[in-house]
Amino acid sequence: MEKPNVIESYIPLSGQYSLQKDLRLNAWLGVTVAVYVGVLFLTKRHPDWSSGLRAFCLLLPLLPALLYVRAWVKLVRGMDELQRGIQLAAFLFAALGTVFVSVIIATLNAAGLDLGGLLRPGLGLGGIFFVMFPLWLVGTQLANCRYK
Amino acid sequence: MKNQLRALRAAKDWSQGDLADALGVSRQTINAIETEKYDPSLPLAFAIARLFKQPIERIFEATARK
Repeated sequence: MEKPNVIESYIPLSGQYSLQKDLRLNAWLGVTVAVYVGVLFLTKRHPDWSSGLRAFCLLLPLLPALLYVRAWVKLVRGMDELQRGIQLAAFLFAALGTVFVSVIIATLNAAGLDLGGLLRPGLGLGGIFFVMFPLWLVGTQLANCRYK
Repeated sequence: MKNQLRALRAAKDWSQGDLADALGVSRQTINAIETEKYDPSLPLAFAIARLFKQPIERIFEATARK
């Protein structure tokens, strides 16, 4: 019978880490970042472009991002029931944690406590990933602890 | 939920990994079921019963609801 996917294959230093699997999963993330940087560069160099063309370019990274989401969905669907439950809990933990951090930053901003502009304009696109990824790792470990 | 999975597996001289491979689940899932930290879904419980050729109620014993 085919072996189910396990998240440890994608976490470095976990003992079951597979660089090949990790690269296969995260390839579309790399493409998304590359396209995003590319369109930022292009739209800054060409301020004369029409707003429609600029909007099209700026939304272009959503295409590889959707393929990245698809790779995650395939990964989770290939897991067994326990691993899927663990990942669902971890994703929920990461999503709610990110909302929590966003609310804290927005509240501090509203009160004028933006740490010398560091917290403005709130949790940006990169900030979301920097908060969500460690929270997902923590959520995975916490959910794993329940079954060890 | 109490279960006889560890005893049944030992009787066949299988490792947790062998049983996990036979059922198409991870070794962690087998360990979690054996240590009664995880209750398997009905399809998985039936797959276990089929694998060991035992009635499901002989392998899994429901504990009183809290």
